[in-house]
Amino acid sequence: MFGPATFHAAMAEVVVGTMVLASLCAIGCATATFLPGIAGGRLSSERVMVTMDKASIAGALLGLAFMPIAALSGSFAADNVVNSALLYNKFVYTGLAFGFWASFVVGRVRLGPGIWQHKSLSALQGATAAMAMLMTTMASSIGGKLVRGESLFDIMPVWLPSDSATVLSPIVSAALLIVGIAALVVVIRLGPKAERISSD
Amino acid sequence: MRHRVAVLAVIALLLATGASMANPGGEGDADRDFTCGGSCHGDPALSSPSDGTVSISVDPLSFSGTATAVHITASGMSLSGNRLLGVFLLGSANGNDDHPEDYGWGILQDPNGGTRNYVEVTVPPSGSVTLTWVMLAPEQLGIQTLLAEIHHGSTPNSNNWAYSSLTRGYVVDVQPVPENLPGFAFDWSPETRVTGDDSPTEIRTRNTTSVSIQWMLEGEWVPHDAEVTGEGDHWHALLPATIGETRIQYQVTTSNGDFSIVQPWLTVATEPAAFDGEIWGARIQSLAFGLLVMAFLLSLQARLSPWEGRPELDHTEEVESAEAPPEPPGLEPDQGYWSRLIPSDENPGWLWDPVEEEWVADPDNPPEGGE
Repeated sequence: MFGPATFHAAMAEVVVGTMVLASLCAIGCATATFLPGIAGGRLSSERVMVTMDKASIAGALLGLAFMPIAALSGSFAADNVVNSALLYNKFVYTGLAFGFWASFVVGRVRLGPGIWQHKSLSALQGATAAMAMLMTTMASSIGGKLVRGESLFDIMPVWLPSDSATVLSPIVSAALLIVGIAALVVVIRLGPKAERISSD
Repeated sequence: MRHRVAVLAVIALLLATGASMANPGGEGDADRDFTCGGSCHGDPALSSPSDGTVSISVDPLSFSGTATAVHITASGMSLSGNRLLGVFLLGSANGNDDHPEDYGWGILQDPNGGTRNYVEVTVPPSGSVTLTWVMLAPEQLGIQTLLAEIHHGSTPNSNNWAYSSLTRGYVVDVQPVPENLPGFAFDWSPETRVTGDDSPTEIRTRNTTSVSIQWMLEGEWVPHDAEVTGEGDHWHALLPATIGETRIQYQVTTSNGDFSIVQPWLTVATEPAAFDGEIWGARIQSLAFGLLVMAFLLSLQARLSPWEGRPELDHTEEVESAEAPPEPPGLEPDQGYWSRLIPSDENPGWLWDPVEEEWVADPDNPPEGGE
Protein backbone atom coordinates (compact mmCIF):
# COMPACT_ATOMS: atom_id res chain seq x y z
CA MET A 1 0.00 0.00 0.00
CA PHE A 2 1.15 3.56 -0.50
CA GLY A 3 0.21 6.91 0.95
CA PRO A 4 -1.66 9.77 -0.72
CA ALA A 5 1.58 11.74 -1.12
CA THR A 6 3.09 9.00 -3.31
CA PHE A 7 -0.10 8.68 -5.31
CA HIS A 8 -0.24 12.45 -5.71
CA ALA A 9 3.36 12.54 -6.98
CA ALA A 10 2.53 9.90 -9.60
CA MET A 11 -0.63 11.71 -10.74
CA ALA A 12 1.17 15.06 -10.85
CA GLU A 13 3.86 13.53 -13.06
CA VAL A 14 1.21 12.28 -15.48
CA VAL A 15 -0.42 15.71 -15.59
CA VAL A 16 2.82 17.62 -16.06
CA GLY A 17 4.15 15.18 -18.65
CA THR A 18 1.05 15.24 -20.82
CA MET A 19 0.71 18.99 -20.45
CA VAL A 20 4.31 19.55 -21.55
CA LEU A 21 3.58 17.53 -24.69
CA ALA A 22 0.36 19.46 -25.28
CA SER A 23 1.89 22.88 -24.78
CA LEU A 24 4.97 22.18 -26.93
CA CYS A 25 2.80 20.95 -29.80
CA ALA A 26 0.35 23.84 -29.45
CA ILE A 27 3.14 26.40 -29.48
CA GLY A 28 4.61 24.56 -32.47
CA CYS A 29 1.31 24.86 -34.35
CA ALA A 30 1.01 28.55 -33.52
CA THR A 31 4.62 29.18 -34.58
CA ALA A 32 4.06 27.38 -37.88
CA THR A 33 1.00 29.54 -38.53
CA PHE A 34 2.96 32.75 -38.21
CA LEU A 35 6.29 31.53 -39.57
CA PRO A 36 5.42 28.97 -42.25
CA GLY A 37 8.97 28.99 -43.57
CA ILE A 38 10.56 28.03 -40.28
CA ALA A 39 12.69 24.85 -40.26
CA GLY A 40 12.56 24.79 -44.04
CA GLY A 41 8.77 24.66 -44.02
CA ARG A 42 8.76 21.24 -42.38
CA LEU A 43 7.02 22.53 -39.26
CA SER A 44 4.13 23.91 -41.27
CA SER A 45 3.77 20.85 -43.50
CA GLU A 46 0.36 19.26 -43.34
CA ARG A 47 1.67 16.01 -41.87
CA VAL A 48 3.53 17.72 -39.01
CA MET A 49 0.68 20.16 -38.33
CA VAL A 50 -1.87 17.34 -38.11
CA THR A 51 0.43 15.37 -35.82
CA MET A 52 1.11 18.33 -33.52
CA ASP A 53 -2.56 19.29 -33.45
CA LYS A 54 -3.64 15.79 -32.48
CA ALA A 55 -0.83 15.43 -29.93
CA SER A 56 -1.74 18.75 -28.30
CA ILE A 57 -5.43 17.95 -27.95
CA ALA A 58 -4.71 14.39 -26.77
CA GLY A 59 -2.16 15.59 -24.21
CA ALA A 60 -4.44 18.33 -22.94
CA LEU A 61 -7.40 15.96 -22.65
CA LEU A 62 -5.35 13.37 -20.76
CA GLY A 63 -3.90 16.04 -18.46
CA LEU A 64 -7.35 17.49 -17.82
CA ALA A 65 -8.69 14.05 -16.96
CA PHE A 66 -5.91 13.44 -14.43
CA MET A 67 -5.83 16.96 -12.99
CA PRO A 68 -8.80 16.50 -10.60
CA ILE A 69 -7.28 13.20 -9.39
CA ALA A 70 -3.94 14.94 -8.78
CA ALA A 71 -5.64 17.84 -6.99
CA LEU A 72 -7.72 15.58 -4.75
CA SER A 73 -4.83 13.28 -3.88
CA GLY A 74 -2.69 16.35 -3.11
CA SER A 75 -5.41 17.63 -0.86
CA PHE A 76 -5.46 14.32 1.03
CA ALA A 77 -1.65 14.30 1.17
CA ALA A 78 -1.87 17.65 2.98
CA ASP A 79 -4.46 16.17 5.38
CA ASN A 80 -7.03 18.58 3.93
CA VAL A 81 -5.40 21.43 5.84
CA VAL A 82 -4.08 24.61 4.24
CA ASN A 83 -1.51 25.88 6.71
CA SER A 84 0.70 28.05 4.52
CA ALA A 85 0.55 30.57 1.73
CA LEU A 86 2.52 28.20 -0.50
CA LEU A 87 -0.11 25.49 -0.17
CA TYR A 88 -2.93 27.98 -0.70
CA ASN A 89 -1.26 29.25 -3.87
CA LYS A 90 -0.88 25.67 -5.07
CA PHE A 91 -4.67 25.42 -5.05
CA VAL A 92 -5.08 28.76 -6.81
CA TYR A 93 -2.55 27.97 -9.53
CA THR A 94 -4.15 24.55 -10.04
CA GLY A 95 -7.51 26.24 -10.60
CA LEU A 96 -5.98 28.70 -13.05
CA ALA A 97 -4.22 25.87 -14.89
CA PHE A 98 -7.53 24.02 -15.12
CA GLY A 99 -9.22 27.12 -16.55
CA PHE A 100 -6.55 27.67 -19.19
CA TRP A 101 -6.38 24.01 -20.24
CA ALA A 102 -10.16 23.65 -20.35
CA SER A 103 -10.35 26.76 -22.55
CA PHE A 104 -7.68 25.31 -24.82
CA VAL A 105 -9.60 22.03 -25.21
CA VAL A 106 -13.01 23.67 -25.64
CA GLY A 107 -11.64 26.07 -28.25
CA ARG A 108 -9.99 23.30 -30.22
CA VAL A 109 -13.08 21.04 -30.08
CA ARG A 110 -15.54 23.80 -31.01
CA LEU A 111 -13.49 25.37 -33.77
CA GLY A 112 -11.83 22.25 -35.14
CA PRO A 113 -8.34 21.76 -36.50
CA GLY A 114 -8.83 24.72 -38.81
CA ILE A 115 -8.22 26.93 -35.78
CA TRP A 116 -4.50 26.87 -36.62
CA GLN A 117 -5.13 28.39 -40.05
CA HIS A 118 -6.69 31.47 -38.48
CA LYS A 119 -3.87 33.72 -37.31
CA SER A 120 -5.56 35.47 -34.40
CA LEU A 121 -7.13 32.26 -33.10
CA SER A 122 -3.86 30.42 -33.53
CA ALA A 123 -2.09 33.09 -31.48
CA LEU A 124 -4.78 32.87 -28.82
CA GLN A 125 -4.50 29.08 -28.62
CA GLY A 126 -0.70 29.23 -28.42
CA ALA A 127 -0.82 31.88 -25.70
CA THR A 128 -3.47 29.91 -23.82
CA ALA A 129 -1.30 26.79 -23.90
CA ALA A 130 1.75 28.76 -22.75
CA MET A 131 -0.14 30.32 -19.85
CA ALA A 132 -1.65 26.96 -18.95
CA MET A 133 1.80 25.40 -18.86
CA LEU A 134 3.11 28.26 -16.71
CA MET A 135 0.30 27.76 -14.20
CA THR A 136 0.84 23.99 -14.22
CA THR A 137 4.57 24.31 -13.61
CA MET A 138 3.96 26.86 -10.86
CA ALA A 139 1.60 24.49 -9.08
CA SER A 140 4.02 21.58 -9.40
CA SER A 141 7.04 23.70 -8.45
CA ILE A 142 5.28 24.76 -5.26
CA GLY A 143 4.98 21.04 -4.53
CA GLY A 144 8.75 20.77 -4.85
CA LYS A 145 9.16 23.78 -2.54
CA LEU A 146 6.91 22.21 0.07
CA VAL A 147 8.55 18.79 0.00
CA ARG A 148 12.21 19.51 -0.82
CA GLY A 149 12.53 23.18 -0.03
CA GLU A 150 13.62 23.97 -3.58
CA SER A 151 12.37 23.87 -7.14
CA LEU A 152 13.67 24.48 -10.64
CA PHE A 153 11.97 27.88 -10.56
CA ASP A 154 14.62 28.97 -8.05
CA ILE A 155 17.08 29.46 -10.89
CA MET A 156 14.61 31.33 -13.08
CA PRO A 157 14.85 35.12 -13.17
CA VAL A 158 11.08 35.44 -12.74
CA TRP A 159 9.12 33.69 -10.03
CA LEU A 160 5.39 34.29 -9.79
CA PRO A 161 4.13 35.24 -6.32
CA SER A 162 3.85 32.20 -4.09
CA ASP A 163 5.23 33.09 -0.66
CA SER A 164 2.28 35.30 0.13
CA ALA A 165 -1.31 34.52 -0.75
CA THR A 166 -4.34 36.65 -1.45
CA VAL A 167 -6.92 34.88 0.67
CA LEU A 168 -10.45 35.85 -0.25
CA SER A 169 -13.20 35.20 2.22
CA PRO A 170 -15.29 32.14 1.31
CA ILE A 171 -18.28 34.42 0.67
CA VAL A 172 -16.36 36.50 -1.87
CA SER A 173 -14.98 33.32 -3.45
CA ALA A 174 -18.49 31.88 -3.68
CA ALA A 175 -19.72 35.11 -5.28
CA LEU A 176 -16.86 34.94 -7.79
CA LEU A 177 -17.74 31.32 -8.46
CA ILE A 178 -21.33 32.29 -9.27
CA VAL A 179 -20.09 35.11 -11.48
CA GLY A 180 -17.80 32.66 -13.27
CA ILE A 181 -20.60 30.16 -13.85
CA ALA A 182 -22.91 32.94 -15.06
CA ALA A 183 -20.23 34.27 -17.39
CA LEU A 184 -19.71 30.81 -18.84
CA VAL A 185 -23.44 30.37 -19.42
CA VAL A 186 -23.64 33.75 -21.11
CA VAL A 187 -20.65 33.03 -23.32
CA ILE A 188 -21.76 29.54 -24.32
CA ARG A 189 -25.56 29.93 -24.46
CA LEU A 190 -26.21 33.57 -25.22
CA GLY A 191 -23.07 34.69 -27.01
CA PRO A 192 -22.33 34.32 -30.71
CA LYS A 193 -22.06 30.71 -31.77
CA ALA A 194 -18.47 29.88 -32.66
CA GLU A 195 -18.56 27.77 -35.80
CA ARG A 196 -16.19 25.01 -36.74
CA ILE A 197 -13.55 26.36 -39.10
CA SER A 198 -13.21 24.23 -42.21
CA SER A 199 -9.70 23.15 -43.08
CA ASP A 200 -8.42 24.05 -46.55
CA MET B 1 23.65 14.58 -37.66
CA ARG B 2 20.35 15.75 -36.18
CA HIS B 3 19.74 12.33 -34.67
CA ARG B 4 23.14 12.44 -32.97
CA VAL B 5 22.37 15.87 -31.53
CA ALA B 6 19.02 14.62 -30.27
CA VAL B 7 20.59 11.54 -28.66
CA LEU B 8 23.31 13.66 -27.03
CA ALA B 9 20.69 16.09 -25.72
CA VAL B 10 18.70 13.24 -24.16
CA ILE B 11 21.85 11.78 -22.57
CA ALA B 12 22.79 15.22 -21.20
CA LEU B 13 19.34 15.60 -19.66
CA LEU B 14 19.53 12.17 -18.08
CA LEU B 15 22.97 12.88 -16.65
CA ALA B 16 21.79 16.24 -15.35
CA THR B 17 19.40 14.51 -12.96
CA GLY B 18 22.38 12.98 -11.17
CA ALA B 19 23.83 16.41 -10.58
CA SER B 20 21.23 17.23 -7.99
CA MET B 21 22.14 16.64 -4.37
CA ALA B 22 20.18 14.87 -1.68
CA ASN B 23 18.75 17.77 0.27
CA PRO B 24 20.48 20.97 -0.80
CA GLY B 25 17.58 22.97 0.63
CA GLY B 26 18.30 21.56 4.07
CA GLU B 27 16.29 19.31 6.35
CA GLY B 28 15.27 21.90 8.91
CA ASP B 29 16.01 22.11 12.60
CA ALA B 30 15.68 18.77 14.38
CA ASP B 31 16.90 16.51 17.17
CA ARG B 32 19.68 14.45 15.59
CA ASP B 33 22.49 12.11 16.51
CA PHE B 34 26.04 12.38 15.17
CA THR B 35 25.94 12.56 11.31
CA CYS B 36 22.18 12.16 11.44
CA GLY B 37 22.45 8.78 13.12
CA GLY B 38 24.70 7.13 10.54
CA SER B 39 22.62 8.13 7.51
CA CYS B 40 24.14 8.77 4.10
CA HIS B 41 26.25 11.66 5.39
CA GLY B 42 28.13 9.18 7.58
CA ASP B 43 29.17 7.10 4.58
CA PRO B 44 32.84 7.91 3.82
CA ALA B 45 32.07 7.50 0.12
CA LEU B 46 29.50 10.27 0.32
CA SER B 47 31.23 12.70 2.63
CA SER B 48 34.50 14.52 2.97
CA PRO B 49 36.25 16.56 5.68
CA SER B 50 35.26 20.21 5.74
CA ASP B 51 37.87 22.88 5.09
CA GLY B 52 36.32 25.03 7.81
CA THR B 53 37.16 25.28 11.48
CA VAL B 54 34.69 24.82 14.28
CA SER B 55 35.12 25.43 17.98
CA ILE B 56 33.12 25.55 21.20
CA SER B 57 33.24 28.21 23.85
CA VAL B 58 31.66 27.21 27.16
CA ASP B 59 32.27 27.95 30.81
CA PRO B 60 34.28 24.96 32.08
CA LEU B 61 32.48 25.14 35.42
CA SER B 62 28.75 24.94 35.76
CA PHE B 63 26.28 24.38 38.55
CA SER B 64 23.76 21.60 38.29
CA GLY B 65 20.38 22.77 36.96
CA THR B 66 21.54 26.29 36.15
CA ALA B 67 21.57 27.97 32.76
CA THR B 68 24.81 28.12 30.85
CA ALA B 69 25.60 29.34 27.35
CA VAL B 70 27.40 27.18 24.78
CA HIS B 71 28.82 29.15 21.86
CA ILE B 72 29.79 27.32 18.64
CA THR B 73 31.82 29.23 16.08
CA ALA B 74 32.29 27.95 12.54
CA SER B 75 34.35 29.76 9.91
CA GLY B 76 36.30 29.33 6.71
CA MET B 77 33.98 26.80 5.05
CA SER B 78 33.67 26.57 1.26
CA LEU B 79 29.90 26.66 1.04
CA SER B 80 27.29 25.90 -1.59
CA GLY B 81 25.36 28.63 -3.37
CA ASN B 82 22.68 28.95 -0.69
CA ARG B 83 25.38 29.23 2.05
CA LEU B 84 23.44 26.79 4.23
CA LEU B 85 25.23 25.32 7.25
CA GLY B 86 23.94 22.59 9.56
CA VAL B 87 25.32 22.65 13.12
CA PHE B 88 25.04 19.84 15.68
CA LEU B 89 25.51 20.16 19.44
CA LEU B 90 26.25 16.65 20.71
CA GLY B 91 26.98 14.77 23.92
CA SER B 92 28.95 12.06 22.10
CA ALA B 93 29.85 10.90 18.58
CA ASN B 94 28.66 7.30 18.70
CA GLY B 95 25.98 7.56 16.00
CA ASN B 96 23.19 6.89 18.46
CA ASP B 97 22.03 8.51 21.73
CA ASP B 98 24.27 11.49 21.00
CA HIS B 99 21.73 14.16 21.93
CA PRO B 100 22.90 16.28 24.90
CA GLU B 101 19.61 15.40 26.62
CA ASP B 102 20.81 11.77 26.62
CA TYR B 103 23.52 12.99 29.03
CA GLY B 104 21.23 14.99 31.27
CA TRP B 105 21.54 18.39 29.61
CA GLY B 106 18.42 20.42 28.91
CA ILE B 107 18.17 22.75 25.93
CA LEU B 108 16.57 25.96 27.12
CA GLN B 109 16.91 27.62 23.74
CA ASP B 110 18.70 26.86 20.48
CA PRO B 111 20.13 29.61 18.22
CA ASN B 112 16.94 29.70 16.16
CA GLY B 113 14.69 30.12 19.19
CA GLY B 114 13.65 26.46 19.42
CA THR B 115 14.87 23.60 21.58
CA ARG B 116 16.73 21.43 19.00
CA ASN B 117 20.30 20.17 19.01
CA TYR B 118 20.61 20.49 15.19
CA VAL B 119 19.94 23.83 13.52
CA GLU B 120 20.45 25.22 10.05
CA VAL B 121 21.65 28.73 9.43
CA THR B 122 22.65 30.83 6.45
CA VAL B 123 26.25 31.89 6.82
CA PRO B 124 26.81 35.63 6.25
CA PRO B 125 29.27 36.81 3.58
CA SER B 126 31.95 37.17 6.25
CA GLY B 127 32.15 33.36 6.24
CA SER B 128 32.00 33.11 10.02
CA VAL B 129 29.04 32.41 12.25
CA THR B 130 28.63 31.98 16.01
CA LEU B 131 25.62 30.13 17.37
CA THR B 132 24.59 30.03 20.99
CA TRP B 133 22.69 27.31 22.79
CA VAL B 134 21.40 28.10 26.26
CA MET B 135 21.56 24.86 28.24
CA LEU B 136 20.50 23.71 31.66
CA ALA B 137 23.38 21.80 33.25
CA PRO B 138 22.67 18.16 34.10
CA GLU B 139 21.60 16.97 37.51
CA GLN B 140 24.39 14.40 37.46
CA LEU B 141 27.54 15.88 38.90
CA GLY B 142 31.02 15.44 37.48
CA ILE B 143 32.75 15.79 34.13
CA GLN B 144 30.48 16.19 31.11
CA THR B 145 31.54 16.42 27.47
CA LEU B 146 30.06 18.50 24.65
CA LEU B 147 30.97 18.28 20.95
CA ALA B 148 29.96 20.22 17.87
CA GLU B 149 29.74 19.12 14.27
CA ILE B 150 29.00 21.01 11.07
CA HIS B 151 27.59 19.83 7.73
CA HIS B 152 27.55 21.81 4.53
CA GLY B 153 27.74 21.56 0.76
CA SER B 154 30.18 23.19 -1.61
CA THR B 155 30.29 24.79 -5.04
CA PRO B 156 31.48 23.12 -7.22
CA ASN B 157 30.69 19.71 -5.78
CA SER B 158 31.04 17.23 -8.61
CA ASN B 159 31.10 14.25 -6.22
CA ASN B 160 27.95 15.37 -4.37
CA TRP B 161 29.82 15.06 -1.10
CA ALA B 162 28.59 16.32 2.24
CA TYR B 163 31.39 18.17 3.99
CA SER B 164 31.59 17.73 7.74
CA SER B 165 33.82 18.64 10.65
CA LEU B 166 33.73 17.48 14.28
CA THR B 167 35.32 19.22 17.23
CA ARG B 168 37.15 17.55 20.06
CA GLY B 169 35.20 17.04 23.25
CA TYR B 170 34.92 20.15 25.43
CA VAL B 171 34.77 19.33 29.12
CA VAL B 172 32.38 20.93 31.58
CA ASP B 173 32.71 20.24 35.28
CA VAL B 174 29.23 20.15 36.77
CA GLN B 175 29.23 21.08 40.45
CA PRO B 176 26.42 20.91 42.98
CA VAL B 177 24.30 24.02 42.95
CA PRO B 178 24.84 26.27 46.01
CA GLU B 179 21.89 26.41 48.34
CA ASN B 180 19.40 29.19 47.63
CA LEU B 181 20.99 30.03 44.22
CA PRO B 182 18.40 31.96 42.17
CA GLY B 183 17.76 30.80 38.60
CA PHE B 184 15.18 29.72 36.08
CA ALA B 185 12.56 27.18 37.09
CA PHE B 186 13.53 23.71 35.89
CA ASP B 187 10.37 23.33 33.81
CA TRP B 188 10.46 26.81 32.28
CA SER B 189 11.48 27.50 28.69
CA PRO B 190 11.19 30.73 26.71
CA GLU B 191 7.84 31.05 24.96
CA THR B 192 7.43 31.59 21.25
CA ARG B 193 5.56 34.71 20.19
CA VAL B 194 3.74 35.49 16.98
CA THR B 195 5.09 38.32 14.84
CA GLY B 196 3.71 41.62 16.04
CA ASP B 197 2.66 40.26 19.44
CA ASP B 198 3.77 42.53 22.31
CA SER B 199 1.99 40.75 25.13
CA PRO B 200 4.06 40.31 28.32
CA THR B 201 6.66 37.55 28.29
CA GLU B 202 6.26 35.07 31.15
CA ILE B 203 9.35 34.04 33.14
CA ARG B 204 9.32 31.53 35.95
CA THR B 205 12.19 31.27 38.43
CA ARG B 206 13.22 29.59 41.67
CA ASN B 207 14.78 31.00 44.82
CA THR B 208 14.25 34.48 43.35
CA THR B 209 12.87 37.56 45.07
CA SER B 210 13.51 40.08 42.29
CA VAL B 211 14.12 40.04 38.56
CA SER B 212 15.56 42.64 36.23
CA ILE B 213 15.63 42.30 32.46
CA GLN B 214 17.60 44.06 29.75
CA TRP B 215 16.84 43.72 26.06
CA MET B 216 18.39 44.83 22.79
CA LEU B 217 18.00 44.25 19.11
CA GLU B 218 20.44 41.77 17.62
CA GLY B 219 23.54 43.68 16.63
CA GLU B 220 22.96 46.49 19.11
CA TRP B 221 25.56 47.22 21.77
CA VAL B 222 23.59 49.17 24.36
CA PRO B 223 20.81 47.25 26.14
CA HIS B 224 17.54 48.78 27.36
CA ASP B 225 15.78 48.05 30.64
CA ALA B 226 12.47 46.24 30.43
CA GLU B 227 9.56 46.77 32.78
CA VAL B 228 9.05 43.70 34.96
CA THR B 229 6.07 42.89 37.18
CA GLY B 230 5.27 39.90 39.33
CA GLU B 231 6.31 38.11 42.49
CA GLY B 232 6.68 34.64 43.94
CA ASP B 233 8.92 33.30 41.14
CA HIS B 234 6.35 34.25 38.50
CA TRP B 235 7.24 37.32 36.43
CA HIS B 236 6.04 39.23 33.39
CA ALA B 237 8.37 41.33 31.25
CA LEU B 238 7.26 43.92 28.72
CA LEU B 239 9.37 43.40 25.60
CA PRO B 240 8.71 45.09 22.26
CA ALA B 241 6.94 43.16 19.51
CA THR B 242 9.12 41.42 16.96
CA ILE B 243 8.45 42.50 13.40
CA GLY B 244 9.94 41.10 10.21
CA GLU B 245 13.46 39.71 10.39
CA THR B 246 14.32 41.65 13.55
CA ARG B 247 15.45 39.53 16.50
CA ILE B 248 15.23 40.71 20.08
CA GLN B 249 17.57 39.37 22.72
CA TYR B 250 17.03 39.68 26.44
CA GLN B 251 19.02 38.90 29.55
CA VAL B 252 17.47 38.05 32.89
CA THR B 253 19.16 38.75 36.20
CA THR B 254 17.73 36.69 39.04
CA SER B 255 18.42 37.91 42.56
CA ASN B 256 17.65 37.25 46.17
CA GLY B 257 19.22 38.63 49.25
CA ASP B 258 22.28 36.35 48.97
CA PHE B 259 23.03 36.03 45.24
CA SER B 260 22.51 37.93 42.00
CA ILE B 261 22.94 35.73 38.91
CA VAL B 262 23.18 37.16 35.41
CA GLN B 263 21.67 34.55 33.11
CA PRO B 264 22.77 33.99 29.48
CA TRP B 265 21.24 36.08 26.71
CA LEU B 266 18.04 34.58 25.30
CA THR B 267 16.27 35.32 22.04
CA VAL B 268 12.60 36.16 21.69
CA ALA B 269 11.53 33.23 19.58
CA THR B 270 9.17 34.51 16.91
CA GLU B 271 7.06 32.59 14.47
CA PRO B 272 4.86 33.92 11.67
CA ALA B 273 1.21 34.42 12.42
CA ALA B 274 -0.87 31.33 11.73
CA PHE B 275 -2.09 31.21 8.15
CA ASP B 276 -5.75 32.12 8.07
CA GLY B 277 -6.74 30.29 4.87
CA GLU B 278 -8.81 27.14 4.97
CA ILE B 279 -9.26 24.25 2.58
CA TRP B 280 -12.75 24.96 1.26
CA GLY B 281 -11.92 28.63 0.77
CA ALA B 282 -8.91 27.61 -1.31
CA ARG B 283 -10.97 25.15 -3.34
CA ILE B 284 -13.78 27.62 -4.08
CA GLN B 285 -11.37 30.46 -4.89
CA SER B 286 -9.39 28.16 -7.16
CA LEU B 287 -12.50 27.00 -9.02
CA ALA B 288 -13.83 30.55 -9.29
CA PHE B 289 -10.57 31.81 -10.83
CA GLY B 290 -10.54 28.87 -13.24
CA LEU B 291 -14.10 29.50 -14.40
CA LEU B 292 -13.49 33.24 -14.81
CA VAL B 293 -10.41 32.58 -16.93
CA MET B 294 -12.39 30.07 -18.96
CA ALA B 295 -15.27 32.49 -19.55
CA PHE B 296 -12.87 35.21 -20.65
CA LEU B 297 -10.96 32.97 -23.06
CA LEU B 298 -14.09 31.39 -24.55
CA SER B 299 -15.54 34.84 -25.21
CA LEU B 300 -12.26 35.82 -26.89
CA GLN B 301 -12.41 32.69 -29.03
CA ALA B 302 -15.99 33.50 -30.05
CA ARG B 303 -15.04 37.09 -30.80
CA LEU B 304 -12.11 36.09 -33.01
CA SER B 305 -13.76 33.15 -34.76
CA PRO B 306 -15.80 33.54 -37.98
CA TRP B 307 -19.42 33.28 -36.84
CA GLU B 308 -22.59 33.74 -38.82
CA GLY B 309 -23.69 37.37 -38.91
CA ARG B 310 -20.32 38.76 -37.90
CA PRO B 311 -20.39 42.28 -39.42
CA GLU B 312 -16.84 42.35 -40.67
CA LEU B 313 -17.36 39.19 -42.70
CA ASP B 314 -20.30 40.54 -44.72
CA HIS B 315 -18.90 43.00 -47.25
CA THR B 316 -21.95 43.04 -49.56
CA GLU B 317 -22.77 46.67 -48.94
CA GLU B 318 -19.22 47.79 -49.58
CA VAL B 319 -19.04 45.81 -52.82
CA GLU B 320 -22.41 47.06 -54.05
CA SER B 321 -21.70 50.66 -53.22
CA ALA B 322 -18.31 50.62 -54.85
CA GLU B 323 -18.23 51.91 -58.39
CA ALA B 324 -16.50 49.78 -60.95
CA PRO B 325 -13.09 51.33 -61.60
CA PRO B 326 -12.35 52.40 -65.18
CA GLU B 327 -10.22 50.08 -67.17
CA PRO B 328 -6.57 51.13 -67.18
CA PRO B 329 -5.49 53.00 -70.34
CA GLY B 330 -4.48 50.65 -73.06
CA LEU B 331 -6.42 47.75 -71.66
CA GLU B 332 -9.90 48.72 -72.96
CA PRO B 333 -11.14 46.06 -75.38
CA ASP B 334 -11.17 47.44 -78.93
CA GLN B 335 -14.12 47.46 -81.28
CA GLY B 336 -12.84 44.34 -83.10
CA TYR B 337 -12.98 42.38 -79.87
CA TRP B 338 -16.63 43.22 -79.22
CA SER B 339 -17.61 42.60 -82.85
CA ARG B 340 -16.40 39.01 -82.77
CA LEU B 341 -18.52 38.09 -79.75
CA ILE B 342 -21.66 36.11 -80.55
CA PRO B 343 -24.87 36.61 -78.49
CA SER B 344 -26.61 33.49 -77.27
CA ASP B 345 -30.35 32.99 -76.84
CA GLU B 346 -29.77 30.05 -74.52
CA ASN B 347 -27.57 32.12 -72.21
CA PRO B 348 -29.04 35.59 -72.04
CA GLY B 349 -26.60 38.19 -70.82
CA TRP B 350 -23.56 36.25 -72.03
CA LEU B 351 -21.51 36.52 -75.26
CA TRP B 352 -19.43 33.69 -76.79
CA ASP B 353 -15.84 34.47 -77.73
CA PRO B 354 -14.93 31.96 -80.50
CA VAL B 355 -11.25 32.96 -80.42
CA GLU B 356 -10.65 32.52 -76.71
CA GLU B 357 -13.50 29.97 -76.50
CA GLU B 358 -14.99 31.49 -73.37
CA TRP B 359 -18.19 33.18 -72.25
CA VAL B 360 -18.00 36.90 -71.57
CA ALA B 361 -20.59 38.96 -69.69
CA ASP B 362 -22.54 41.27 -72.02
CA PRO B 363 -21.98 44.83 -70.71
CA ASP B 364 -25.19 46.06 -72.36
CA ASN B 365 -27.30 43.23 -70.97
CA PRO B 366 -25.71 42.05 -67.68
CA PRO B 367 -26.53 38.46 -66.75
CA GLU B 368 -28.93 37.93 -63.88
CA GLY B 369 -28.12 35.73 -60.90
CA GLY B 370 -24.59 36.87 -60.52
CA GLU B 371 -22.97 33.71 -62.02
